[in-house]
Amino acid sequence: MAASLHTRFSASSLISSHDLCHLSPHANGWKSSHMPASYKLGRTIQRSLRGSSVVSPMALAANASQDTDDMYDDLFKKYGKVVYKSSDQKSPTAEVDDDAECLSFAVALAKIASDVKAADIKLLFVKPLVYWTKFFLITTAFSRPQIDAIRNRINDLAEKQYGKFATGDTKANSWTLLDFGDVVVHIFLPEQREIYNLEEFYANATPIELPFENEQRFGR
Amino acid sequence: MIQPQTHLNVADNSGARELMCIRIIGASNRRYAHIGDVIVAVIKDAVPNMPLERSEVVRAVIVRTCKEHKRDNGMIIRYDDNAAVVIDQEGNPKGTRVFGAIARELRQFNFTKIVSLAPEVL
Repeated sequence: MAASLHTRFSASSLISSHDLCHLSPHANGWKSSHMPASYKLGRTIQRSLRGSSVVSPMALAANASQDTDDMYDDLFKKYGKVVYKSSDQKSPTAEVDDDAECLSFAVALAKIASDVKAADIKLLFVKPLVYWTKFFLITTAFSRPQIDAIRNRINDLAEKQYGKFATGDTKANSWTLLDFGDVVVHIFLPEQREIYNLEEFYANATPIELPFENEQRFGR
Repeated sequence: MIQPQTHLNVADNSGARELMCIRIIGASNRRYAHIGDVIVAVIKDAVPNMPLERSEVVRAVIVRTCKEHKRDNGMIIRYDDNAAVVIDQEGNPKGTRVFGAIARELRQFNFTKIVSLAPEVL
């Protein structure tokens, strides 16, 4: 994590998060840890834990990352305490209501896109993957005037019925993006959709069935 | 705090590896650029056999800085390197994937496309 996120360990901690960040051998501190890096990290933690009662099952085999996770969990349970709890967490029922509302909004937008004959409309539920939005609506349009038409109709519906305003692209673009906060609409031209391939990047998101005729492109 | 002559890493797979900032887009006399600012840069190092080549002038948006970025809630975020994502005139990223962590401020600067390609948003 970034070097200056406040640490949650109490004063008697054996390791500080500062050490953890700077143990990576790469200059760019954000590269994912390969086998040697996590091994080196593990050995350092083993050295600093020597003499304490915490047993660190640091295997040299492929289980190293799993063991580090378990070890961190142990350390958090033993020494961690909650310093700051975000106050905007909702109860589960309120969250489900929110999601249902966003879902109906997203389905309404998808309906507009299909009215304008946009192809291959996909609605992805990305809330488990990303925290900054709930739904992605990905669609293909075949010309810039069509993109303009989709954009204008979506903006009108959002303003009139739901009171939401979009940030994002104000003119048609080969990748036009409309950001409604919880719902993000991506309108691609066919080549761009192949190039960027967002569905592959978000392959773990659950796709949502659309309740209307979805025009599939040839060969898909 | 990126200024002309600053070398930045490239955080996407557009083909460039290192950029040198030559100008900050925005006001005419801006001294420094921060996360979310668009800069004009020249490619100093590139991956072979890709559309972008060395000594090409491109636009890029800064996604990570070593200078800390303060948020209104008091959080301060500071990265280990300076990095940028190459974009075209319309604001679309030239690469198809972005690497490393991206600050969520890019969404407010209308770079939600880069945020939606990011593996991790902080």
